[in-house]
This record gives sequence, structure tokens and C-alpha cells, in this order.
Amino acid sequence: MSAVLPTILTPILAPVAAATVIALGRRLPGPIALAGVVVALLASGMLLAAAFSGRVSPLVLPGLPEMPLRLEAGPLSAVLSALVAVIATFVLVFATGYMRADPQRNRFFATMLIFVAAMQALVLAADWITLLAAWEVIGATSYLLIGFWYRKPGVADAATRAFLYTRSADLGLYLGVFLLIGAAGSSEISATLAISGPAATLGGLLLLVAAMGKSAQLPMQDWLMRAMAGPTPVSALLHSATLVAAGAILLIRVSPMLPGQTLVVIGLVGGATTVVTGMIALAERDLKRLLAASTSSQYGLMLLAVGAGAPVVALLHLIAHAAIKSGLFLGAGVFQHQRGSTRLEDLAGVGRAHPRIFAGFALAALSLAGIPPLAGFFSKDAIIAATMSAPGAAWLLPLGLAGTVLTGAYMARAMTLLWRGPHAPAGGGNPDLVWMGSGMGALVALAAGLGAGFPAVEELLGAHVATSAVAMALGLGAALAGLALGWKVDGARLLGPLAGRAERGFAIGGGMDALVARPALALARACDRFETRLFGAVLAVGRATATIAQGTRVSDERGIDGAIFGLVRATIASGARARRLQSGLIHRELALTAIATGLIAAALFAAPLLL
Amino acid sequence: MIPILSLSVFLPLIGALILLAMPRASATQAHAVGIAASAATLILALVMWSRGVVAGEFVQVEEIAWIEAIGAAYRVGVDGLSLPLIGLTALLFLLSFIHQARSQDRARSFVILMLMLETASIGTFAALDALLFYVFFEVSLVSMYFMIAGWGEEGRQRAALMFFLYTLLGSLPLLLAILGMFLASDPWSFDMRIWIDDAPLGGAAAMAALVAMLFTFAVKIPVFPVHTWLPAAHVQAPTVGSVILAGVMLKFGTYGLVRFALQMLPDAFAAAGNVVLIFGVASALYGALVALAQSDLKRLIAYTSVNHMGYVVIGVAVAALATDPAMRAVALDGAILQMVSHGLVTGALFFLVGMLKERTHTREMARMGGLLKPVPVLGWSFVLFAFASLGLPGLAHFPAEFQIFLATLNVAPVAVISILAIVVTAGLYLRAIGLVFLGEPDARWQALPDLDRRDLVVLVPLVLLTLAIGIAPGWVLSVIHVTTSAAGF
Repeated sequence: MSAVLPTILTPILAPVAAATVIALGRRLPGPIALAGVVVALLASGMLLAAAFSGRVSPLVLPGLPEMPLRLEAGPLSAVLSALVAVIATFVLVFATGYMRADPQRNRFFATMLIFVAAMQALVLAADWITLLAAWEVIGATSYLLIGFWYRKPGVADAATRAFLYTRSADLGLYLGVFLLIGAAGSSEISATLAISGPAATLGGLLLLVAAMGKSAQLPMQDWLMRAMAGPTPVSALLHSATLVAAGAILLIRVSPMLPGQTLVVIGLVGGATTVVTGMIALAERDLKRLLAASTSSQYGLMLLAVGAGAPVVALLHLIAHAAIKSGLFLGAGVFQHQRGSTRLEDLAGVGRAHPRIFAGFALAALSLAGIPPLAGFFSKDAIIAATMSAPGAAWLLPLGLAGTVLTGAYMARAMTLLWRGPHAPAGGGNPDLVWMGSGMGALVALAAGLGAGFPAVEELLGAHVATSAVAMALGLGAALAGLALGWKVDGARLLGPLAGRAERGFAIGGGMDALVARPALALARACDRFETRLFGAVLAVGRATATIAQGTRVSDERGIDGAIFGLVRATIASGARARRLQSGLIHRELALTAIATGLIAAALFAAPLLL
Repeated sequence: MIPILSLSVFLPLIGALILLAMPRASATQAHAVGIAASAATLILALVMWSRGVVAGEFVQVEEIAWIEAIGAAYRVGVDGLSLPLIGLTALLFLLSFIHQARSQDRARSFVILMLMLETASIGTFAALDALLFYVFFEVSLVSMYFMIAGWGEEGRQRAALMFFLYTLLGSLPLLLAILGMFLASDPWSFDMRIWIDDAPLGGAAAMAALVAMLFTFAVKIPVFPVHTWLPAAHVQAPTVGSVILAGVMLKFGTYGLVRFALQMLPDAFAAAGNVVLIFGVASALYGALVALAQSDLKRLIAYTSVNHMGYVVIGVAVAALATDPAMRAVALDGAILQMVSHGLVTGALFFLVGMLKERTHTREMARMGGLLKPVPVLGWSFVLFAFASLGLPGLAHFPAEFQIFLATLNVAPVAVISILAIVVTAGLYLRAIGLVFLGEPDARWQALPDLDRRDLVVLVPLVLLTLAIGIAPGWVLSVIHVTTSAAGF
């Protein structure tokens, strides 16, 4: 492979090539897409193996002058690249079944592949321009994916909202990147990680804004829940290892640069998000929206870990969550296929009709809650341990524990609602279910067993993740308490007076619509009214000038006037029609200006003679 | 040696003269002459491109004595600033002729006007003599005026008046500035290279000349608040008129801003840099906001030009203010690339709006809707160029805007507030896409024909170039950077 194409380019180019083949050939999109991601997966595996053996060679490509593009599969990038490749492969296996009957599946698979390629570029980027470019392409392709069923009402709005929210937050990334490149004098990420002082503090905060947008952190959590308008495999991919993950990945990436004050802010943002969006999940009436709120909440825990100075712990939770959440979404997709809805009241009892799918869903849910020996237990335990020893432990630890309780509670609530209720027989023998079941099964297996791989990741990244019996007891206690509460007590009762606000998604001050979108539109309309007046004023001045010119016209101008226009007409030969179209005013205007120009030119020519 | 540059300037004019000599030429013959002349011009431009540029000087220089007593001569040449613009001009004219070729409406006159305009446009970028520059600059106005007045839409009279008053009166101050520089040069000369190497004016005289020039170029670019002619002209102009106006003629203003204001009056420009910067920022933000409020798709795109050209002004002002030569080069690379990108992307968008109007007979977005279903190729092309225009990486505007903003934050941090406009542009394009293309199509649009082969011939080169500049801008930036990084630019 490396003889023809550098290995590091393959995870990016293989999906792009597959997308091109689908776009041009318009047939067999599923198998071609799978071929593309499997090749990418193999290449990512080779990169990971190379990282383990310490052989990392950057690839430098031409970019902007003095600022080349760089790709490098260092330990962190190699792990993330492999994660993206694995999740993408299984989600596409699932999608082969899920999208089988959709007439637009060529477009679906092609866009998914571009999306995966952009995510690979993001994790492998070693310079800020590549990272920023990949970041924005991810945003644009998720717009296309969320808006995939563009003819349905409300879909265009959801897609537009997702793109605008994240793009607004992306300004933080733009400014942060400009600041860091200016401070370091290089666009290489490793060079900018060495800077310190105010540039590092401010740069870190700007990057945090971008991460908050992408990872749907408070107060920008709303778009993610609305982004459910797209097909379910899209949600499974967006929420696990890709779009939403980009925010946390960015912060993990730059954490060596971040000074203490910035870390505290990151920790508090993450802590607040995990609690608030956890409550939203508890109050949700729709399974996919519940899972979306849970995504915000879990990324909140990752930011909490970064804030506690433990980026590797955040990475472990990101890996565990990627497998868990994609598995959960795929389970939700199967249920949706059966009942034609994702509203929890419509899904009541669907679990009992599909016990194997429900078992997979439940296993992933327990892993997310943090039950040993599932993967989520190890990462959540490490987060609790990290907050205990962090400088801001007094704040961070309670937030982390509250997030853990809430995770248990909303996952238990989802499981109860899916299990209890009318028992309808399953419509068996669906061939699509084989694809969907195997895609989901593989991800659930990862969600359960990935914890076994964590020591290897820690070793690769050269980080020792501390843990303690106290942390373990606290974490497990919180998880079990949450599960018990969620199983026994109704979500709304559990939230008490906050239930109403949680159901409305804790929109602060009317949400981003009221705070940003409407004022921006009002400002635009005000500018447009001003524009109309400005246009009118200029036109009035023009008319007045033309009238004055007409009044002061000297009689013998007529001859010159005619001569010039004869010339113009002959030159451009636009004939009788054009003559009819020209108003007298403009004739005179042109003549006057031409005469003025002529006079100046004459003066100019005469000047050397006089001097 | 063959004077390739002069040939590419005058080949279109030769085509126009041939047509003038054929009073009974049919529409087909007229279009054939237009396509042939502009295709030959593009080939010549490509030959020049293949020869490249050299740091610190002009290449392809051709000189003929003209009015020796006052040091005026026919002088043309190119560098990394003008060569990409000449290539862009040659391409957009060829595509416009191809697009126009189905029109039967007074084809001969139209082609003659367009060919004259092409000579004037390439001449403006190629001129190395200030008097020659001014002549080309003015001739282009006359052609465009007649194009709007003769082939425009319902309200063309008012639009033509507006265009004419603004740009013709607007260019008089430039003439005064040129005369001032001429009188101050010793010995008298209109040779722009001499003025660039050794600024003839200094102190208050330089500032006065700068103010005069800035006025002319601000009208042309156009910069808020002297931009009101632009949307009026665009809405009334025929499709190819809009393509050339936005794609080529607006660049006269920014080209002049760099070639005259920045290169000939660097000290005055540095002193006035903050003022220019404020106007650039105001244009970028105001253009985006007014575009957001539009309901007419063509007006919307016209206002995004005010926004995009505002970024160019910001880039040039930042270059004037920069003390670090590396940052200065970054700002100028961005500003010049932005001119090229804007020409390609906005040119394509105006073609697409024209193609939409041919089919739906409206430009009102609210009256369209769901068009992605009946005309998918047109729809996805629009989506692609809309994303390009809102600055998506991988497409042409991103590398340009990245460099402009990078330099801005590091030279004049407050001005980076203009980056808010990229969110507004994202919002307005997504809104336009939603209104025009998404949703369920109206019954009367079900049978609309999608793009035909001729439409694709026009669009595909623009798609490929937009991608090529977006993904690997090096092939254009290397040409620009040779010139901008040279000492003394």
C-alpha cells in the first residue's frame, strides 16, 4: 500500500474514492461504501501498529505559502483514526440494511463516506489548516446528512440550525487558530502546543468555544437534539466518533498547552452540561432525542476530565462512549424500523418483541451507566478518580457524580419504557434485520469489552490513569443509585419542579433563536431599510446633477454632442434600438464628462508647450 | 518574438472589427466569432500562465512609443497580481459567450460590445502606462453601460443611470491623481513601473492623490456606502452582464487599490490604512446583513459581492498596515486569491441564477421551492457554489479568506470582527437553499428541464477550478506569492 500511496492518506482517500465511484457509477452503493471503509480500516490498523512500534513519519503536502499541510499518525491520532474507522465500518454495515429500500441511497452512502474521510483528516491533521478545513467539512457534510430527507417538513430547518450553531461556534476555532499561528509563527500543531502566557489562555478559551458548539455543550446543546431529522445511521455516526467527538478531541489534543485557569473553565462547562443535559434526557419523550441529550451529557463528562487535567481519561471515555452510543442508536433504529416512530410512548414494549436487540441495547446502556466489567465502568471510574485529585475537586467531583447518577437514571428509564407495555408480536424474517443486527451486535460487543484494551491505550500514550477504591465505590454507587431511581421512579417525578424546564431543554432566555437569530434578522432588515433610503438619496442627487447639467448647457455643445455620439454609435454599432433606449439625460451626461476629460487632456498636452 | 500579451489584449477587438465589417452577420456567425476570439484569448492567457512570473519585475513586457513628449507610451506587462486576473477574465468571457450563444436578441451588437469589453478588461489589468490604464478603465464602462441599457430588464434605465453616474464621475478623481503623479515625476512619465519603484509623490500631495484614488476605486469595488449602483445594475443586467460585472469589473477596483494606491503611495496608504480598514470591515458586515434580508435571489448574490470584496479591501489595508513583511505577504496573497475566487464562484452563481430564471421566470425565492427534485443538477451545483461562497474549506474562498483573517488578527486585531460575516453568509445561503431547493416542489415546477449540455460546458470548468483552488491553492498562490513576497512590492 505504501508504495503506491502513503498509508496515512489511505484512511482519507479510500472513502473519497468509494464516494466518487458511487457518484459516477450510481449502483451498488452499499458494497462499494463498505469496501471503502474496510480499506480505510486496514490502513488505520497499520497506522496504529506503526504507532505501537514507535515508527511515526509525518506526511507534508503543499498548502498555503510557508504553511504546508501535515498529516501525522502519532499515538493519539492513530488511536482515534482506528476508532473512527471501526465505528464507521459497523455503522455502514447497519446502514446497508437500514437504507436498502431508500431510492436516494447513492447520495446517502456518498455523503457518509465524505463525512468519514473528513473525520479521518481531522484526527490525522498535524497542522491547524488541515484541522480547521476538516472541521468545517464535517459540519457541512453533517448538514447534508441531517437534511438527507430534505422534502420532509422541518428537515431543512433542523439541518440549517445544526450548521449555523456549529459554524457560529467555529469562529472560536478560526480566531484561536489565527492567534496560535501568529504566536508560534508556524501552523504546525506541535509547535503551537509549546506556547504559554496570555496567548495560550485566550487561545484555549477560543478553542473551547468551538468545542462547545461541536460537542453540544451548554448553552449550545439545542441543535443536537433537533438534528434527529436525519436517518438513524447518521445519528449513530454523528454522536459517537465523529461530529460531536470533534470538540472533545480538539481539547484533548491541545490540553498540554492549556493553563490552569482555562482548564477550570473547561471543567465547569463540562460539569454543568453533564448535569443539565442529563436532566433533559430524563424528561425526554422521544428515544432518539433522549440519546442525543445523553450525548451532550457524556461529552460534558469528557470535558470535565480534560478540566481535571486528565485528557487521557477523557480519551478513554470517548472511545467507550463511541461504541456504546453508536450501538444504542442502532438499537433505536431497529425499534424505529418496527414501529415507525421513535416516540417512547409508541415504542412501549418493543423490547419484549425483540429480546435480542433489547439485550444488546441494555448491555450498551449498562455500560454507559458504568456497571463493571463493561467498558463504561472503567472510563467513568477514571473520571471520578481524576476529579478527586484535581485542583477544583470541590466543584468537579459533585458534578461528575451527579452526571453519573443521571446517566444511570435516564438509561434505566429508557429500558423500562422499552420493556414494559403492550406486547406486539415481531414481524420476523426481515433480511434487512440481519445487516442491522450484525452491525449493532459488533458495536455492542465493543461497548462491553473495550475496557480490556484501555491499558494498551494508556501505555501507547505514555500515561498512567490513576484510580482508587474510593473512586470506584463512589462511581459504582452513583451508577447503581441512578439505575434504581430510573427503574422505579418516573422521570418527571424525579426532576420535581425542574421537570417542565428540562422538557423544554433548558433554553436560556428563549434559547439561541431569541438571543442571536432574531436580533441578527432584525439587524439585517434594518440595514436593508437603510439601503433603500441610501439608494433613493443617491438617485435624487444624480437626477439633480443631470438637471443642473441640462440647465447650464451651452448652445454650441449641440455640435460636439452630435459628433461624439456619432462616433460612439459607429464604434459600437448598436443600431437604432440602442438609440431609442438611451435617455437624453445620459447622452448629455456622457457628453459633458467626455468634454471635461477632453479639456483636461488638452490642458495636459498644452502644459509642456506653455512651460 | 510574438507579442502574446498584446495579442491577448487586442484579439477580442479584432473579433469585434471583423463583426463590424459583417453588417449582415447572422446570430450564429456572431456567436461563432465571439467564441473563437475569446477562446483564442484564453489560449494565449494559458501560454502566458505557463511562462510564469519573476519576483520584483514585470514579465511579457511590450512597449511602443506613443506620445513621447509627455512620456506616455503603449506599455503592457504582467506580474503575479495581474496574470491570475487576466486568466480569470479570459475564462469568464469565453464561458459568457458560450452561455449567450443561444440568444437571438441583436446578437451581433451584443457580441461586439462584449468583445470590446474583453479588450478593455484585459487591457486594464495589463497596462503599465497610467494613461493607457485610464483609457481601458473608461472604455469598459461604456460597453457595460450599453449592455445594461440595451439588454437589461424592466427597470434598466434607472439602473444604467445609476451605474453611469457613479462609475464615470467616480473615475474622474483617479484622473486627477494620475495627472498629479505625472506632474511630480521627473522626467515626466506615465510609466507605472517608475511610479512603483520610486513614488513620485510624498507628504500631503501623496495623501491627496490617495484620497482621490480611493474614491474612484471604492466606487468600483464597491465599498459601503458608495455601493448602491451594484445591486441595481446586477438586477437589471442580463446574465452574462452580471457575470462579467461581478467576475471581472469589480476587480478593477481592488486591482487599482493594490497597483496604484498600495504600490505607488505606500506611505500615505499606511497612514490612512485604518480608515480604509474601517470601510472594508463595514462593507463586509453590511453587505452580508443586507444580503440576508433579500427576497430576490439575484440581489442576494449581488450583496454578497459587497461582502466578499470587503474582505479584499480588508486584506489590502492590512497589508498596508503590516510591519512584518511575512504578514504583509500573507494578507496580499489572500486578497489577490480572493479576487480570483470571487470571480469564479460569483460568476458561477450568476450563471446559475440566470439558468434558474430561464426556467422559472422569477427571481423571487419565496415563489420557488423544492427545486432540487425537478432540477437536481442545477440544484446541487447551486449548493456547491453557495458552500464555496460561504467559505467552506476545499472550495475556492477558504484559502483566501483564511489568509486575510489570519493576517488581520495579527496586524489589526479589532478588524477581525468582520469574521462575523462568515456566519451571516452561511445563514443567508442556507436560507436561500432552503427556500429555493428544499421541501416539496410546487406542481408547476414538476416538469422543469434540468441543465443541458451547454449549461454544463459553462459550469464544469468553474466547478473544477473552484475545487482545484480550494483543495490545492498552491498552483495559483505560487504565482501570486512570487510577486507579493518580493522586496519592494
